Amino acid sequence: MTITPLAWSALAGPIALLAVALLPAARPKALAARARIAAVIGLITAALAAGAVALAGPFASPALPGVSILFDGLTAVMFLLVSFVGTIVVQFSRNYMAGDPGHARFTRLLSATLASVLLLILSGNMAMFLAAWVATSLALNQLLLFYSDRPAAILAARKKFIASRIGDLALALAIGILWQASGTLEFAGMFAALKAQGAASPALVLAGGLIALAALLKSAQFPLHGWITEVMETPTPVSALLHAGIINAGGFLALRFAPLLELSTPAMDLLLVVGGFTALFASVVMLTQNAIKVSLAWSTIAQMGFMLLQCGLGAWAAALLHIVAHSLYKAHAFLSSGSVIDIARASWSPSPGGAPHPARLAMAVALVLAAVGVAGTLSGFAIAVQPGVFALGAILLMGLTHYIAQSIDQRPTGFVIARTMVAAVAVAAGWFALQAGMAALMAGTLPAEAARTDAVALIAVAIIVAGFAALTIGQASFITAKGADTPAWARAFYVHVQNGLYVNTLANRLVLALWPTGLPSRR
Amino acid sequence: MMTETAPAPTSSAAAPPAAPLPGPLDMAIATACQRIAPLWPLKHFVAVNPYLGFSGQSFAATAATLRRVAKVDMLMARPFYREALAAGIITDAHIAQALARAPANAPIPADVALARAALARDPAERARSGPAVVATIAEVLDKLSAGDRQASRTAFMVDEISRWCAAYFDEGQASWQMPQRGAGPWAAWRETMVHDRNAEAMGIKDFRRIVAGLPADPVAAIGLIVEAIGIPTSAQTDYLHRALFDIGGWAAYVRYLVWDNGLYGRPDNRLVELLAIRMAWGYALFRQRTDAQFQAAWAAEMQQAAQLPDDAGLSADPDLAIDLVFQEAYEIAWQAQLLGKLARDEAAAQPFAIPARRGRKPLQAAFCIDVRSEVYRRALEQVVPGGETIGFAGFFGYPIEYVPIGRTSGGAHCPVLLTPAFTITEMVNGADPALETEVLGLRLLRRRAAKAWKSFKQSAVSSFTYVEALGLAFAPKLVSDALGLTRTVSDPNTDGLDAAVIGKLGPRLDPVTVGGRMTGLNADQRLSQAEAVLRAMSLTSDFARLVLLAGHGSTTANNPHASGLDCGACGGHTGEANARIAADILNDPAVRIGLRSRGIHIPDDCWFLGAMHDTTTDQISIFDRDRVPPALRADVAELDGWLDRASALTRRERARLLDLDAPDGDIDAQVLRRSRDWAQVRPEWGLAGNGAFIAAPRHRTAGIDLGGRSFLHSYDWTQDNGFGVLTLIMTAPMVVASWINLQYYGSTVNNKVWGAGNKVLHNVVGTLGVLEGNAGDLKTGLAWQSVHDGEKLLHEPLRLNVFIEAPLDAMTAVIMASQTVRELVDHQWIHLWAIGDDGQVSHRYHRDGEWTAL
Repeated sequence: MTITPLAWSALAGPIALLAVALLPAARPKALAARARIAAVIGLITAALAAGAVALAGPFASPALPGVSILFDGLTAVMFLLVSFVGTIVVQFSRNYMAGDPGHARFTRLLSATLASVLLLILSGNMAMFLAAWVATSLALNQLLLFYSDRPAAILAARKKFIASRIGDLALALAIGILWQASGTLEFAGMFAALKAQGAASPALVLAGGLIALAALLKSAQFPLHGWITEVMETPTPVSALLHAGIINAGGFLALRFAPLLELSTPAMDLLLVVGGFTALFASVVMLTQNAIKVSLAWSTIAQMGFMLLQCGLGAWAAALLHIVAHSLYKAHAFLSSGSVIDIARASWSPSPGGAPHPARLAMAVALVLAAVGVAGTLSGFAIAVQPGVFALGAILLMGLTHYIAQSIDQRPTGFVIARTMVAAVAVAAGWFALQAGMAALMAGTLPAEAARTDAVALIAVAIIVAGFAALTIGQASFITAKGADTPAWARAFYVHVQNGLYVNTLANRLVLALWPTGLPSRR
Repeated sequence: MMTETAPAPTSSAAAPPAAPLPGPLDMAIATACQRIAPLWPLKHFVAVNPYLGFSGQSFAATAATLRRVAKVDMLMARPFYREALAAGIITDAHIAQALARAPANAPIPADVALARAALARDPAERARSGPAVVATIAEVLDKLSAGDRQASRTAFMVDEISRWCAAYFDEGQASWQMPQRGAGPWAAWRETMVHDRNAEAMGIKDFRRIVAGLPADPVAAIGLIVEAIGIPTSAQTDYLHRALFDIGGWAAYVRYLVWDNGLYGRPDNRLVELLAIRMAWGYALFRQRTDAQFQAAWAAEMQQAAQLPDDAGLSADPDLAIDLVFQEAYEIAWQAQLLGKLARDEAAAQPFAIPARRGRKPLQAAFCIDVRSEVYRRALEQVVPGGETIGFAGFFGYPIEYVPIGRTSGGAHCPVLLTPAFTITEMVNGADPALETEVLGLRLLRRRAAKAWKSFKQSAVSSFTYVEALGLAFAPKLVSDALGLTRTVSDPNTDGLDAAVIGKLGPRLDPVTVGGRMTGLNADQRLSQAEAVLRAMSLTSDFARLVLLAGHGSTTANNPHASGLDCGACGGHTGEANARIAADILNDPAVRIGLRSRGIHIPDDCWFLGAMHDTTTDQISIFDRDRVPPALRADVAELDGWLDRASALTRRERARLLDLDAPDGDIDAQVLRRSRDWAQVRPEWGLAGNGAFIAAPRHRTAGIDLGGRSFLHSYDWTQDNGFGVLTLIMTAPMVVASWINLQYYGSTVNNKVWGAGNKVLHNVVGTLGVLEGNAGDLKTGLAWQSVHDGEKLLHEPLRLNVFIEAPLDAMTAVIMASQTVRELVDHQWIHLWAIGDDGQVSHRYHRDGEWTAL
């Protein structure tokens, strides 16, 4: 790693954004234009720095007390990602918020939040990391309360506030333990010390568990996921930034501390079990949601669960790819959520099509799993050694199975099926290329894929794969069945799922009891 | 009472009650449901008068009823009138006139000075109690629990009912639809409530058991609840209305479904079933509390509710009487301005002169009566000296169902008061049957492939693969969407068609049978429609060489309310198809021969052009250019030049209200960019500002800058034998204009209640409407951004002023013959004025057929 004062220049974007947040401005629109310049400065420095990493490897700033910059491959990807999404969101907000009495305040809060996330990503020092972590959460809290007279906004922000403070505590404790153990707050020094120690002490295992806990809380994982389905009480660009820029902080935390987590099997198991369960749970709930933004929020919970599942499997590069791809997808999905009516107007039913036969699909799933087993074994993997690889590969292929099955309805046509097959092959090829590319890019930055072979991991993987297989079959049978054809248990199951298994209502009741809003009801 | 648990409902036993004679409760239910105005879905969003259900009572009495029953205001808050007074917009003379217009028994100040003093005082905190004030159980519980650590019961109940309705009525958002939705709402709700533990999770005890104990018949359930909670008979209508008002958005959507079925004569009981759901919720809350405190509070409320209201006399609400005087004064002030403009002295200098020219007119151009057309027509008249513009409802007299390629049914392109009389299919111009079949087949296949892709994107399992494989592709898409280079999603009208085909799409007029339905128009239908349309436009002679028939539509991106900016007369669709059909038929040689025998001679060198006015960009596109006879090609080229100049002029005028980044820069480019900006919440102002409807020959208003605030209907009563056209104008376009006007009025005076709230919080639900934020009731009306520019209101809250040039007797006869019209004018929902033979406004309509000379 190169130590260079030039690394400080990566601060240009965050500093410019902080200046926008603090300096006076004559008109809201002028301030918004300034925020756009600041965001673009961040984006340009991100691109230049990423180029430097690609050409000359990671670099870092000289360590000052509590402050330093670490710019490795992980930083490069995340910094570029958040600067890019941030720039789009800032640009979007300029016209979107025009005429709002709080437009200037909004621009300032948005700039401050974005600056905090960028500083978090740049942190080479755990104290700075913790400070930026807390600052992001506090700034976001102000954005969530942008319309502070909305009772639902307050309730959601309070739930988020409570979850965040528990997460802060976990992170602070973990950092304290690591400081004790390694004698330094610098990431580089801390990781070197860990490596030198070899086996993990109970304290380090605990620290890993605390990091995993903080990541789960930040990523809106079960059972503290409720707040994220309720923060549509604030303007759309905040949702876009939250779902595409800030929610990633949990994943980033896990990736940044990956060398520590690898030493802590319970931490990995925690990520695997909670992430895997949340991915399954939230993606089923998502199917039943009727409002576009709420549905997108459940999708985010599921996607973050999947990403943490990848972390739990030690598929670090895959998790990073997931973060990047999900961010870009979700930023667009939120900003374009007003277009859903256009989509609906174009979504007429072309023919009395039908769902594929459930048995045929079950066969397809079995074939897919068999194919994965054969292909995997032939290429030198053994299920007992690399269950993670198989789990992720099986989920990919089940997704493709679902896609292909969708194209075969009651009146199958060669055109549609062929078109679907071509698209499916392209998707699969793209998926493998991207996974391989990201793994190559992150070689040396993130630990190589770990082999999870402990009993908890094996059982969890088996259950998760079975769950996804059941879901694939369910989506082709009772979920798409028409009214009266739905079995009685599925009719009841739908009601429970649509309610998110009532977890959030219980959480609301608890929060209201502990911390009442004291505000009048709507209208 | 209801203590034992009834068996779970097994089937929709919602058979109509055996007794055919409506009792008082049935009447109360019917009246309460009738008070809800319908809400059209976003796919074809049209303006609705939110006070439609109150047309049987006056504007003032409705304001009183709504304050008493729903506790909402229907007028601006006092500071608005105070500012108008301070700014000199309202003067003492206006106040004096308003006092004079007030009903004799109203509790109003004796003179202007007292009125001004009354306005300066803040109104008393709105009476939460008082005679005939209606409270709901949830409201009483909320009041009792002030400071209590309980969530607002009202908000929770509204959220829960709204979420259930979203699942039940979902038009395609969720991949997994509610399996129970095959049954009627009441039966489906009862079935889901067998399983649903959410209310109990929130602490509402025994919710499932209480619901299961209610009768399977919704009316019987309502009856049981009304009796159990002890609503006095005299207050039943108000209570039931209040109950529906709490979930007013969903009630309005269901009212639309009922309305739509009603147009086709199909019975629909779903609004009553929704009412039963809402009542059951109240009942479950009622059963929670048996303590003395609640019982006493509830008994007191019921005692108040039992007293008889006096909404018409305003005796219980003197504050409202004051506000009504100032609303009237505010409207009088605007009327005075408008009357001044209309009463221009022909000899005096005009804002701009329209030079008269002898001989044949160089152009006739018909536009929709929409207020946005007024600006364009004025510009076009300036550019084309001697050219004539005509105002007519933008569906050009053709109530059609327009079926796009590949589909079996389509949208109704006509005012929502009508049902389509013709079915027209879309076709590819100049394509032989083989090519048509190919285009059709390809679109169907692409649609099926797209469905599979959408399922891949959104299913529970494959969404993870989708994100990892395709997420990165959204990086370039984010950039190009942000720069306005691409559309967020493809245009629904042309989705699945090749670019080469898109330019050739058009309506098919020739009668053919498609899917068992007769489409197109036969010779007789064409002739009778053509004649009716020309007579209704008062366009029966002096045809120019080119007659432009311009429908209108809008171009916006990422806007869930986009169809609300399209043509209301075309049922929330663009007017393209209707204008093209109207033009096509008038160019049909057989039709022209037929018209001659009916006394309308269209010269052989006259050609009708179907066109569309894009109200966001003010571009006009002419269709079917290839059919223009060669002799007229040069004329069309000249017309293109005129239209370019008129469009530029119109954009310049509109730009003043658009808050452009560079007001002195390239306005055309900025207006165009706005129409593609996915972040733009005010792409255009729609019909904001509307305040007048004028039915008269255009020369009465030509040359007057009406500021894009008037509906202009061309009408020459001297050509109207038997006043059939007058009847049509007063019963259809005038009513629709009043709907639009009152929609804007409601969204302006109380956006929380009758508007759609803040656009930046909009959350499209069920692909049919919007929520504000993550939950709450469905929103109706217009977003705040559609009436307010951030600094000031762009729409002034004014009731529509209708000016008609016709004999008083003829208008009185129409009023007396039509209940709808009579209620509108007699109950002061619009102001009606008569224009005399000299072109001056001569009379103001009072009521009961009486006119007051000015």
